Amino acid sequence: MSDVEDEAFMDNEEAGEEHEELEEERPKKKHSRRHEDEDEEEDDEEEDDEEDEDEDEDEDEGEQRGKKRAKHRHKRPAVNRFLDVEAEVDEDEDEEEDEDEYARDEFIADTGLEGEDDYDMVRRAADHARYDRRVREMDDRDLEQVAEDISQRYRRTAVRYTGDMSDVPQRLLMPSVHDANLWQVRVRPGKERDIVFSLMRKAIDLEFSNRPLNILSAFQRDSLPGMIYVEARSAKQVSEAINGLVGVFPSRGINLVPIEEMASLLQIKQQELTVTPGSWVRIKRGKYQGDLAQVMDVTENGEEVGLKFIPRIDLNPKDDVGLDGRKRKKAGAGLSSFNMRPPQRFFNYEEVVKVYGRKSVSKRNQVYVFQNDTYKDGFIEKDFRLTALQLDDVNPTLDEITRFTRGQDGTENETNVDLSIIAEASRKAAISVLQPGDHVEVFEGEQSGVHGTVHSIEGDVVTMEPVGVEFDGQRIQIPARSVRKRFKPGDHVKVMTGKNADETGLVVSVIDNVVTFLSDMTMQEANLREAAEVGTGTNIVGNYELHDLVQIDQQTVGVIFKTERDSFRVLDQNGQVRLVQPHQITMRRDSNRAIATDSEGHELRIGDNVKEVDGEGRKGRVLHTHQSFFAFLHNRDYAENGGVFVTRARSLASLAPKGNIMKLGNTDLSKMNPALSGGAGGMVGSGNIGRGPRDRLIGVSVMVIKGPSKGYVGTIKDTNGPHARVELLTGNKVITIDKEKLRRRNPDGSLEPLEKSFTSMGPPRSGGFGSQTPNPYSQGGRTPGWGQTGRTPNPYNDSRTPAWTASSRTPNPYADHGKTPAWDATARTPNPYNQGGKTPAWNTSARTPNPYANGGGSSTWGGATPGRGVNWDAAPTPFAAFTPGAAPTPAPFSMQTPFEYQTPAGGAYPQTPGVMAGAYGSQESQYEAPSKWLLEPEFSQKRGLVVEVRGTFGGGWHGGDFEGKQGVVLSVFDTHNESFESVARVRFFNPVDPLQPILPVPVQFLWPVHPEHREETVVILDGAQKGVEARVEAVESNNSMVVTTMDTFHVIDTSPDRLIRIHDIDEVGNRR
Amino acid sequence: MSQGQASIPTQPRAKQLRACLLCSIIQTPADFRKHGCPNCEELMQMKGYPDRIQACTTTHFEGVIAVINPEESWVARWQRTSKYARGMYAVRVKGRVPEDVEAELESRNIKYRPRDGSEQD
Repeated sequence: MSDVEDEAFMDNEEAGEEHEELEEERPKKKHSRRHEDEDEEEDDEEEDDEEDEDEDEDEDEGEQRGKKRAKHRHKRPAVNRFLDVEAEVDEDEDEEEDEDEYARDEFIADTGLEGEDDYDMVRRAADHARYDRRVREMDDRDLEQVAEDISQRYRRTAVRYTGDMSDVPQRLLMPSVHDANLWQVRVRPGKERDIVFSLMRKAIDLEFSNRPLNILSAFQRDSLPGMIYVEARSAKQVSEAINGLVGVFPSRGINLVPIEEMASLLQIKQQELTVTPGSWVRIKRGKYQGDLAQVMDVTENGEEVGLKFIPRIDLNPKDDVGLDGRKRKKAGAGLSSFNMRPPQRFFNYEEVVKVYGRKSVSKRNQVYVFQNDTYKDGFIEKDFRLTALQLDDVNPTLDEITRFTRGQDGTENETNVDLSIIAEASRKAAISVLQPGDHVEVFEGEQSGVHGTVHSIEGDVVTMEPVGVEFDGQRIQIPARSVRKRFKPGDHVKVMTGKNADETGLVVSVIDNVVTFLSDMTMQEANLREAAEVGTGTNIVGNYELHDLVQIDQQTVGVIFKTERDSFRVLDQNGQVRLVQPHQITMRRDSNRAIATDSEGHELRIGDNVKEVDGEGRKGRVLHTHQSFFAFLHNRDYAENGGVFVTRARSLASLAPKGNIMKLGNTDLSKMNPALSGGAGGMVGSGNIGRGPRDRLIGVSVMVIKGPSKGYVGTIKDTNGPHARVELLTGNKVITIDKEKLRRRNPDGSLEPLEKSFTSMGPPRSGGFGSQTPNPYSQGGRTPGWGQTGRTPNPYNDSRTPAWTASSRTPNPYADHGKTPAWDATARTPNPYNQGGKTPAWNTSARTPNPYANGGGSSTWGGATPGRGVNWDAAPTPFAAFTPGAAPTPAPFSMQTPFEYQTPAGGAYPQTPGVMAGAYGSQESQYEAPSKWLLEPEFSQKRGLVVEVRGTFGGGWHGGDFEGKQGVVLSVFDTHNESFESVARVRFFNPVDPLQPILPVPVQFLWPVHPEHREETVVILDGAQKGVEARVEAVESNNSMVVTTMDTFHVIDTSPDRLIRIHDIDEVGNRR
Repeated sequence: MSQGQASIPTQPRAKQLRACLLCSIIQTPADFRKHGCPNCEELMQMKGYPDRIQACTTTHFEGVIAVINPEESWVARWQRTSKYARGMYAVRVKGRVPEDVEAELESRNIKYRPRDGSEQD
């Protein structure tokens, strides 16, 4: 046969795509095929020979296997183009023969089946025509060309591996802007791989459709569950591609992966876990779930490992098969039930035989085979897939490892102990316990005895900074297993492992490696063999700590009296002990603000030492109070419940001696006034004296003066910063409203600013003197004087003038004594009072958080204290308490203090708290006469103005002897010159020297005396009617008067501050 | 020059999917046996040799890439599979090719890059 024919035939075969199939169906030929491939790769040029060979074989095979092929083709009529059903005559006889021979059977078969199908015949004819054309083309080509074609075709199936991409470094493959983007698509977790496969198949299916997928690739990483990444030029292409796939959530966004993150998506590497023989693993699933196992060997591809571990053989099979051999297999199946997992137990031939019968166990060499498992030395040896094993965080415990080291008989076999195993276990334990900063000592090796602090831990090497002269700043590195924590007596420790695990206590002594500590719980001494067992103790689990008051449920609170590894023991308010997990605790309660009273009505505070007055008479320290009723006490002397017990607050009495003041029945007033009782020990034992009072505004009756609720009356229920919650009387409504819009409503219906006192209250409270500043309101509420003041201005006042009253706006204790030193001081010296007295800024200064910050303030303050004490003994005058707020300038105070004792009026004054209160109410009228007001033309010509001397302290006029004296101005001499003092001749009502009632007084020391009663003649100090004489018609309130001018009968509503008394006097100043 | 189409495993969940250690293509063992590796059959010669398939492929791979357009895909380029057949590829394949293949690669001056992500340059 000619080469050409052969080639042609060959080509026919190929064209029919039958070649491969034929090859597959002929296993016999595989080796030859293989041979062929090899030939090709060695020498591609010698194709022709091979083809001959190949072809011959094909021919032979064709004859032999005609039938089979016929069957095959039978299903595929298309191949009939090889057949010349029309018996076409070709000039080449050989080929004809070949063809016939080759296809005879098929021909017959085909005609038998398809002969009647005309259409088929037509189509077949077309095929033949095409075939002829191809044959002719083939003939036209030269042989070399054909050879090339063939070799090309073959190369395709076994391309030479060039690895042409391997030489490019990875970094040069980094994505550029020209590359398509990666898009992250959310998918159902667990379906990532399926979806990637689906995308591939979809892409192939649609490849030649009119809507092919335009994505370039898609991938999934096991470490990124729930998402796949699709490489495409646009998000639209991605959404088209994933459209219709189940388990894809395009609604959750198709997110562009930043170009710099693309590479890392493919670089993600799981923690490489290598398994080496001897290492420890845990079994993830099945009967041995969680069991520790030791790796014996690893298969070459690393997919399976041989493990050795302690078997769990059910020696009490459910369906008792002990004697009945028939059910043995079922018994084996029963073992798989995880619910009744048999305990770990070494394989014991006798035991197993006893239960399962002798036949069930066979012995080969040293190995028993039981239920298809191999047992050796009591261990089961079994192969596991790597995926069924947990390789990291194995953390074998010492117990487990020691079990491994025991022989199958269960006795300790010292020779069997693999020291390295123990070492590893202890190393891990040691590292897990140590932390940088821990105080450790080296207990073995060259550095034994050295101690110091841990600087860092790297792997199992501890870098420590030893303490001692010889190691000056050195750091030494020590294996972690060679160091242990160092304890010294007095340390509070918690036992990490062992019999006393989780106990906390105080280290009593450390001898060698035995730590003796006194347990917090049991108060028993316990010895710890290994110091490594002990960690520095905290009693904190989660967010909760020993002796915390915790809310367990709606009704139950309790105190933690014992912390365990991950739970607490809690004593609830009913005395029940509960075991509580941290998550069962709703919240930690803060009982610092809880209020309870003891049996004597004293306030019970946390930390008080109390004892029960009834019942067992137990003593203890108050840990917490709850709902004013229950008190949780702690006493280390009681072993029960860690010394915590609960009792009723009402049955407690303070252990500390109470001050006498409390006993004197001095009732509410003094009791409420910590400033009084504080020194006397009323709250002895209270660790919390500085606690601020509750907002005194709560419960105050108020009226709304602004806003939609204007005019409504209500009660303050709560305050929060600038807001107050007010329960209105009408409608039973609670509204939240600015305090600004509220006015205190007195019982008589008059209104007052709500927070007037708080401006000056603030500083002392925050300055830590809170307890010393009794709230005027609370006092006011209790002292009748307070409420009345507004209505009856100063019934007691005879020695003083309304002007003085106004001065009490400056909360100055000295004002209490009927004298006005502070005023004169202001007039003369530019001290804070001066500024403040005249301007609203005064209040600001009073609010400065800590007036005591001024140097010397504290001593001054101390000097002032006796004065207050005297006052309060007589009657509580709340305003004295404001002093701290106004005490920034020490100097005037120290001067003033003695003075107040000199003034005889001082003793009388305390009778007039009401005036003070009233004066306080006048805070809003801010008028102060200017310095040297007397020189103003309106006044300088007036005779009989009633004035008071103030500000003469500190080397002032007459050494302050005339301070507070009142008199009438006879004449004013204005020098119009700063260097010469302007003076006024004043006739004093009560002169220091009766022989000299008239003295020239520098005008800056003279201050107006304000009217207080109706019918008084006054001169208006300020405003349009300045200098005009008037008459007081009515006293509206303490800060409002109605006056009628003498000349014009104008009725003016003004404040006393703006008025000055004037007396109608004769030549020598006597009142007419 | 794209190499055409690798066979796509029909059962993506199938445990027995194997990845070629050299080119990281994922196929079923049956496909490896029938067709060999579409990319590196010349070297690996797995076709019809189950033992060889065991040695040259592994089930220990992670991450599956559907390489649809190898020529243009950056992912394929990064994975160095852009000259390979379309098909499913693994992101990482654990293990190394048999020594004879490695020796052959060396003799051809082809740098062998294990597919386990251990080599980065």
